[in-house]
Amino acid sequence: MKSLRTFIQIHKSIKQHATVFSAVVVVLLFGLFLEAYMHNFNLVYITLFFVFSLAFSAGPIGVLNLGRLQSTFIPSGRLFAQEEGKISLSIYNNSSTDAWSILVYGNNVTVPLNYLKGEHSSIVHLPFTPSKRGKFRYENCYLESRYPLSTARLTLRIKEQYEGVVYAEPKGRSLASFLNEEETHYGEEKEFDGLKEYDGSQRLSHIHWASVAKGELSVKTFTKEMQTSNLVFDFYKAGKDDEARLSQLSLWVLECEKKHFPFAIIFPHKNLNSTKESIDEILEVLARY
Amino acid sequence: MKSLKFLQDTKLTPLRLLDMGYVIVLLPLLLLLKMPMLVFALIVVAILFFKKTPASNLLVMFIFFLGILAVYLSLYGTFSFRGLSRLKLFLEFLVYVLFVVVSMQRLTQKINFYLLISPFLFLALSLFFYHGILMLIYVIFEIFFLLWMILAHRMQGNLLEGFRSSMVMFMYSLPWVVILFIFFPRISFEHATYGFKSETVQRMGHDGTMYIDSKALLVPSDRIVMEVGFKGEIPLSHQLYFRGSILYVDKKNHWEPLPKHIKRKNKDFYETKGEKVEYKVTLYPTQKSWIYLLDMPFEAVKGSTLDLDLISTVKKPIEEPLHYSASSSLSGKFHDVLDKETYKASTAFSTDSNPETYKVVQEIKDTYATPQKKVSAIIEFFKAQKLTYSLKPEALDINNSTDSFLFTKRQGYCVHFASSFVTMARMAGIPSRIVTGYKADLGNALKNYIAVKERDAHAWAELYMGEHWIRVETTATAYGIEADSLRQQSTGVDKERNEVMKKINLYLMYVKYQVETWILYYSNVRQLQLLQYAKENPKFVFTFVFSLILLLLMTLLISAYFKRTTYTSKAIEILQPLMRSLKKRGYTRQKEETLHQFFLRYVDENAEKKEQISAIQAVDKLYEEISYGNDISQKSIKALKQIVKKSF
Repeated sequence: MKSLRTFIQIHKSIKQHATVFSAVVVVLLFGLFLEAYMHNFNLVYITLFFVFSLAFSAGPIGVLNLGRLQSTFIPSGRLFAQEEGKISLSIYNNSSTDAWSILVYGNNVTVPLNYLKGEHSSIVHLPFTPSKRGKFRYENCYLESRYPLSTARLTLRIKEQYEGVVYAEPKGRSLASFLNEEETHYGEEKEFDGLKEYDGSQRLSHIHWASVAKGELSVKTFTKEMQTSNLVFDFYKAGKDDEARLSQLSLWVLECEKKHFPFAIIFPHKNLNSTKESIDEILEVLARY
Repeated sequence: MKSLKFLQDTKLTPLRLLDMGYVIVLLPLLLLLKMPMLVFALIVVAILFFKKTPASNLLVMFIFFLGILAVYLSLYGTFSFRGLSRLKLFLEFLVYVLFVVVSMQRLTQKINFYLLISPFLFLALSLFFYHGILMLIYVIFEIFFLLWMILAHRMQGNLLEGFRSSMVMFMYSLPWVVILFIFFPRISFEHATYGFKSETVQRMGHDGTMYIDSKALLVPSDRIVMEVGFKGEIPLSHQLYFRGSILYVDKKNHWEPLPKHIKRKNKDFYETKGEKVEYKVTLYPTQKSWIYLLDMPFEAVKGSTLDLDLISTVKKPIEEPLHYSASSSLSGKFHDVLDKETYKASTAFSTDSNPETYKVVQEIKDTYATPQKKVSAIIEFFKAQKLTYSLKPEALDINNSTDSFLFTKRQGYCVHFASSFVTMARMAGIPSRIVTGYKADLGNALKNYIAVKERDAHAWAELYMGEHWIRVETTATAYGIEADSLRQQSTGVDKERNEVMKKINLYLMYVKYQVETWILYYSNVRQLQLLQYAKENPKFVFTFVFSLILLLLMTLLISAYFKRTTYTSKAIEILQPLMRSLKKRGYTRQKEETLHQFFLRYVDENAEKKEQISAIQAVDKLYEEISYGNDISQKSIKALKQIVKKSF
């Protein structure tokens, strides 16, 4: 009785949609019925009953194949507006039997899972490109399977929804360009330390012209006597409008993170500092502005 | 095991799976294809085999025109607008067209909707052509195979998993098929007459004329003429006479039926006395019009006529297996009022022939007054002559065949006994005739089933006394059986020398007969009979329900077997009861947690359960030894099993 109750619960959670092959089965049944009934061909009757019974038993088998799957959204990394990211979904097969022919549907994307071993889980990444920054909700995901006979498309809605923040699209001037304008960032050089390849972020005065003559573009590096004060990005000077400013700041924040530069942002009503707040917190403040 | 490994390792592409499905469904239809289509099929297969890339449009067009040509040549001469009305030809045409279209699509190596559903169309079409027991087995196999291929496709071409799942599905549907087959309402349409039947071989043994010279039809063959299933028990040996034709006219070297101008009337129902018996007959093609009924039939079989001589015939010669139900009374006599012409025909004899016999008969006539006494005297005379039953008798003098048989050669078989007896009876003034047909042998019976063979062809006499025809088994007057004939009769042909083989053969025939009766020729009549029987026999209902439950349990067991989880190693499989027990207690192995870590976690958290803990530690140790120490001996496996039992 318990298993029957479980089956009924599973059955209720699954929607069944007819496919073109269900129409084929109906036509086949009708044709076989005519062939059998008109001339009492028992072989045709047997085929007819087999087709009917198999199509009939395909329903519960398909339901049990899909219905035991449990899906949970898991943290899936940063998402930026207008950039392709991913939403991660952990799918667990809560049955001792394997699940077959599974497709995961997200917002206009389909990812095949195909096979999931019994009592095992798998992580599926759904590609997602948010259109704008801010809070978002990822919903209407479902699992689909045509197992076993393709006569029905079974769908299991993922009730859980994913809520997160899309950070502002990182775009604008590069950090190097910004730093070129901010001389103080570099501090005071004390002793020549060596050469390294020019990557666009160094001052022009540090270019090692001798190497340029040889066809290479290197810059001189120095041990610094003292570190200059933190980089400070001013919201109001970062761009023409709010969106451009937020995008610009996002880009610089990410570049600073990459280069391990501490920084601060002068933000309306609030100043942000990378030594006090994590990068994600700063990006979130920018996203939710 | 090798084949299992092969299945496990084999993952086929959708196109290969489809190809396998096509091979299976096309096999029976290949027998139907005419030579041009077979050549076409061979060309297509050769192209598919050698050309691994998709065919160009040019090649597809070439195959199209080649296909049209093959269809035209295959149906040339038979195809016309009139011919279209013949269903078989139309279906054949459909098969050809579908075959050409499928070949074209397959060459492109693209799977489209039509290529996917065509195997089912081929299967449905093949059912129009074959109705035999072999096809029954093949159809069930075809259905299973197609199911396997569909599931393997859904399971990424995994043949082993596909096989397991298809077995499960097949077993789930089997009880439904049985129930539907028995109870689904039928109507009374007969089988269509087109298509290939299971049996088209002509049977011999009885042909309506009885030769007594060297042409005498002697067929000591074991081929089956008909199979009979009795409703109750099989009648006794001396009651198993199946009437064929009646012979009245002595033509010296042979006997013939009544001349065509003498027509005995047809009748639907006969009042006969004796025990009533009901039976079903499967009569195989004889190319003759007689259908055989047990002496003496009550009524005409549906679709046949029964005349005053109780001879049953159908309009057309029997060219395919005929199934009919009949009822008879187990009586050796029946009432008849002879018309003048029939009386004349049944008393005629040649006064120029058989003088010695005539002399003997005159003495009998002078001695005995009543017909009964005369007949007894003739029987006694036959016995006194010490006639030998021989399947290889010396040739008789045809002008005086009775004299020759009774006084000179004294050897013969049923035809000679019957012919001479009837001649003597007629000389004594008793109207008489010869009946030919079959006398079934109980040696070929099993339960309520009996197979009648060509060697059972027989002839006996019927004498008209007191407005009744009375059967006389003339061969019973034989004094002895000639040694060779005895051997041939008792042992049969070489293949049946072994009694065990004979018994097995009989069982197989019985099974075949039952399958044909209850599956291939199951009809609304049989359905109603079954329901009626169920109403009258509560015990049968119980047995039936019990059988269905048994079938259900069997299918569930088989599906459970194929549904069972498979494990990567025997050791892990042995651990499963323990894992399930721990799971019930809330301990599930975490992702990326080794078994050792899992057991340690349980041990740490349940230190107070000392006995169980030590068992689990032992399991852990032994499992490690088996899995990583490659200790896969039976002894270790057995030890692991025992410890696992103690651990939960």
